[in-house]
Amino acid sequence: MIQNAWLIPLLPLIGFLILGLGNKFLTKSLSGIIASGTVLGSFIIAVTIFLGFLSGENKATTINLFDWINSGTLHISFSFLIDQLSMLMVLIITGVGFLIHVYSIGYMSHDEGFTRFFAYLNLFVFSMLLLVLGSNYVIMFIGWEGVGLCSYLLIGFWFKNQDYNDAAKKAFIMNRIGDLGFLLGIFLIYMTFGSVNYAEVFEGAKGFASGDSVLVVITLLLFIGAMGKSAQIPLYTWLPDAMAGPTPVSALIHAATMVTAGIYMIARSNVLYTLAPITQTIVLFVGLFTAFVAATIGLFQNDIKKVLAYSTVSQLGYMFVALGVGGYSSAMFHLTTHAFFKALLFLGAGSVIHAMSGEQDIRKMGGLKKYLPITYITFLLGTLAISGVPPFAGFFSKDEILALTIGPFSNIIFIVLSFTSVLTAIYMFRVFFLTFHSTFRGTEEQKHHLHESPATITIPLVILAILSTVGGFLGMPRIMSEHHFLSQYLAPIFEFSDLKSEAKAPSEFAEYTIIIVAVVVLALIVLWAMNRYIKKASVPPADDKQTPALRNLIYNKYYIDELYDAIIVAPINWFGKQFNNIIEIQMIDGFVNSIGKTVIWGGKTLRLVQTGAIGFYIFVMVAGIIAILLYNFIR
Amino acid sequence: MATANPIDYLPIIIQFIVAIGFVIFGMIGSHLLGPKKHSKVKDDSFECGIEAQGNARLPFNVKYFLTAILFVLFDVEVIFMYPWAVNFRDNLGNGTWFWEMILFVVFLMLGFLYIIKKGALDWD
Amino acid sequence: MKAIIILSALGLATMFVGVYNFKKALLPMILLGLLAVIGINTMEWNTNIHYYNDMLYFDNWAVSFTNLILAVSILVFLLSGQYFKKNTDHLEDNYSIIIFTIIGAILMVSYSNLAMLFIGIETLSISLYILAGSKKTSLASNEASLKYFLMGSFATGFLLFGIVLLYGASGTFHLHGIKDYVIENHASLPTIFYVGILLMMVGLAFKISIVPFHFWTADVYEGSPTLITAFMATVVKIAGFAAFLRLFFTCFSSITEHFVPILCILAVLTMFLGNITAVYQNNFKRMLAFSSISHAGYMLLAIIALKESSFIAILLYTAAYSVATITAFAVLLMIKAAHQENDSIDTFNGLAKRSPFMAFTLTIAMLSLAGIPITGGFFAKYYLFANTISAGYTWLVVLAVFNSAIGVYYYFKVIIAAYFKEGSEEKLSIFPAYQLVLIITAIATLLLGILPGLITEMM
Repeated sequence: MIQNAWLIPLLPLIGFLILGLGNKFLTKSLSGIIASGTVLGSFIIAVTIFLGFLSGENKATTINLFDWINSGTLHISFSFLIDQLSMLMVLIITGVGFLIHVYSIGYMSHDEGFTRFFAYLNLFVFSMLLLVLGSNYVIMFIGWEGVGLCSYLLIGFWFKNQDYNDAAKKAFIMNRIGDLGFLLGIFLIYMTFGSVNYAEVFEGAKGFASGDSVLVVITLLLFIGAMGKSAQIPLYTWLPDAMAGPTPVSALIHAATMVTAGIYMIARSNVLYTLAPITQTIVLFVGLFTAFVAATIGLFQNDIKKVLAYSTVSQLGYMFVALGVGGYSSAMFHLTTHAFFKALLFLGAGSVIHAMSGEQDIRKMGGLKKYLPITYITFLLGTLAISGVPPFAGFFSKDEILALTIGPFSNIIFIVLSFTSVLTAIYMFRVFFLTFHSTFRGTEEQKHHLHESPATITIPLVILAILSTVGGFLGMPRIMSEHHFLSQYLAPIFEFSDLKSEAKAPSEFAEYTIIIVAVVVLALIVLWAMNRYIKKASVPPADDKQTPALRNLIYNKYYIDELYDAIIVAPINWFGKQFNNIIEIQMIDGFVNSIGKTVIWGGKTLRLVQTGAIGFYIFVMVAGIIAILLYNFIR
Repeated sequence: MATANPIDYLPIIIQFIVAIGFVIFGMIGSHLLGPKKHSKVKDDSFECGIEAQGNARLPFNVKYFLTAILFVLFDVEVIFMYPWAVNFRDNLGNGTWFWEMILFVVFLMLGFLYIIKKGALDWD
Repeated sequence: MKAIIILSALGLATMFVGVYNFKKALLPMILLGLLAVIGINTMEWNTNIHYYNDMLYFDNWAVSFTNLILAVSILVFLLSGQYFKKNTDHLEDNYSIIIFTIIGAILMVSYSNLAMLFIGIETLSISLYILAGSKKTSLASNEASLKYFLMGSFATGFLLFGIVLLYGASGTFHLHGIKDYVIENHASLPTIFYVGILLMMVGLAFKISIVPFHFWTADVYEGSPTLITAFMATVVKIAGFAAFLRLFFTCFSSITEHFVPILCILAVLTMFLGNITAVYQNNFKRMLAFSSISHAGYMLLAIIALKESSFIAILLYTAAYSVATITAFAVLLMIKAAHQENDSIDTFNGLAKRSPFMAFTLTIAMLSLAGIPITGGFFAKYYLFANTISAGYTWLVVLAVFNSAIGVYYYFKVIIAAYFKEGSEEKLSIFPAYQLVLIITAIATLLLGILPGLITEMM
């Protein structure tokens, strides 16, 4: 079976081709079936291979499809690496992806671009699978660009709205900045190791001393790529804007899969990162800072999807913290549980938005509990999971990361991260209560329209809710079970890193303390939030109300977007305009015009104006030649 | 000839002097010796019986240029034929010597045929 | 070599078939002729013959560049049938001149003697001066022709002067003679030799529009008939770069320190000026002109690296670039055929609704020009940059990558116009020949991106 793993990415590609070419001929139901069916097919194949890995029957295998580039010293084969890490990612992508495909059939049923939407989704799944399955950095880069392209297409899916197009462009450009780093990293890897294959690169890297400057530069460049794709400070502002896309897209691309590509890339390159402690520290602090800042912004957002977006940025920060302290399998664990509960939350939000006829502002919701019972319960489970309430999925994975941070940097990381975790619970319960409890605050027309979503929407919600509830048992802390399933499964991938980093399992006392404190604090938060949003029925102020300065600052996302506009976008525009004004208009046009005036003054025809321009051209050519000759003689 | 001395170029300089000298001599000589009778008609730009009007720097019909250029084009081909003709007798036994020129002339004729068919020589 | 002879005959035949009024037979004859020439030319693979006292040397590079030129020309001819439909007065002249241009281009990629380089460049240039002005009633076309001619002859002067100085120093026109001269007198090369190198560089830089010798590009591209612009933007670039690389690699690769610093400066100037100016163009032809300048800047990196693999880099890059450019022009011609004369990017608005097929192929072309995987443009760029890095010019590649990021902006402007903007709703019908060209170019672009090994391994 493992030899047929190439079918996994092929099926969505076929789906994309059928949908893309047959755009006009396919009915909605048929294209929905094709799109979901191909992803389901991939999922089934992935499961069989995964089971093979569990039983120990399958070993990490490279499937060589064809020699892609072969010239001189450059050999790049188009091959897939099937191992524990890539199969875990494939399971998430195809599993969650399949559920979201099914969900989209219901969610997008009224949209005229239905088939186009599914074509893009399938293309996305294909690219993402390429990204995780590739056996070298170049293939990963192709998938990396492919998912960026799909993200661009899907954010701007409703292209008639100019804001959405701008959001799409913003996402693409920010990602390109990151890609630049990634690309340079690949070049440097090729220069250093003479190959871009994972196996050869990691084997070569083991010969380097820890902290070698080349490895530090490579890992930093790769991390820049990860920052763009996984929305870390300073390249995170595109992700909240990316919520312009349809909600299933937000769930699949901007929560569960694509944005975790950066985590995957670093986990994949764990050998390099373990050997570059400086980079690890940088990863750690960027992640920490992002987790904290995004969580504070999430506190005051009123758009249900924006809250979830900032929460995603914050949770990605958690994963980077885990990577930064060398807890690669913990990062992958959190990635997995996050995929479950964040997809669930987004899809739940989508169900709410669907029922509210497109309304996303939580100030206009409230009391939806009785109209949307299934959505209500599943959203509650998701909220409990992300807040880290035991025994839901988020609790275990988050707890594991927190436990890892006890110790280094005199516990500052632990303290900040714990505080962030408190913030997470606060903003999630805030959203939850404002949306589902108290009384309805929308218009009469919306109220009349309220209804529970169809089965294609609720079934994925229920499945994801179950996963969010039990997903945490993939990795239980030591005090509960001797058997940490996920870290044992992934052990072969991180073998080298685990050896290198000295074992720092937290004490049992610390683990107990974390659990007890977590439960108490969470209970307090829930009580506080219930008091505030149900009993007092407090609603966030309207946008034009005066609010305290700090709150204002956070509400406006620290003015980061405006800052970027001021220090990056504006100067570039300025340069462009100056080039246009000074060189094009003033210099060339001015010169030509002045000649033109002279010539007209002489009473000649317009034709001679053009020879005037040539005079200028030739003048510059001669000046160039003289400069070249002078340069050569002076040297 | 191993090296070229400047003195070797003396014949060329002499030829230049003779050529320029002949022109100057001819012009000055005719100016001095020729009879000078001026009249209005004789000083006209064109002696065609019609009174000349305006400036001589007028745009000419492009056909004049076309004809002139075509003349020069075909005239210049003589450059290739002349050395061939000079060496004709010595190289008569050389296999392709004759046919090479025939081929050349055929190409030339093709060109000629083309301009005729294109109407480049039609005056109207 | 046989390619040149057959093409000459084909050119003559074209003239006469036209004169005797078999205009319908012209295009099929030319297309069949060009295909036959590709076949015959391919048979010279691995033969490495020197022709006419080493005037021409058909090594594998010459053969493959010749084939590329011929293939691109076939695409142009496929587009021409419709383009000249309304105006068949001088059809055979246009066609035969294009064929003679191709001969010039082939001479430029196969010369082994500076005299042949000069003849090649002049055959190419003079034909192009005429073609640029071939739309006789259009003022813009006339202007383009005159401008191109004036500036081109100026640049030719420098090229010729450079050749003379090289001859003066080394006493030979043969590339291998010059190479031997350089190796023998490595330590004590005279100043005129260096000046000769620099002047030749200037002359060739003009042909491939390197800043500051690029001024003609935008005006000439804009003014010339669109089909001719497509031909100019592709075939001339291929021939120019192949000629540049052939000369510098064969003769001067042991004394790079004398001209590479200057080439580096020129490459940086070219990339930045081309890209930044392209950002602000609203005219599609002008935008492509500036984009072609920026691509010339990237390709200059291969000449800076000056290695055997630079040939592959240039071959791949020109192939990917030409194919994508032809697509762009084909779509533009198609829209203009329905839409009147307007080259603004706004003409692409709503193209996805009017003709999804054209929008799709245009997107592939733009992605390729922008260098996004899995298109040919990506791989070509990747190979070119990797080649440059391995020659030790990492800083140049950093700048080039930065520039290609700028490039994404204006290429995407076209895609956005095609997909995300509202335009005319009227459906566009597409001529079969154009459809064929677009299918070929789209497949070629993807093939170059997915299986570049087809080319790289052959070499």
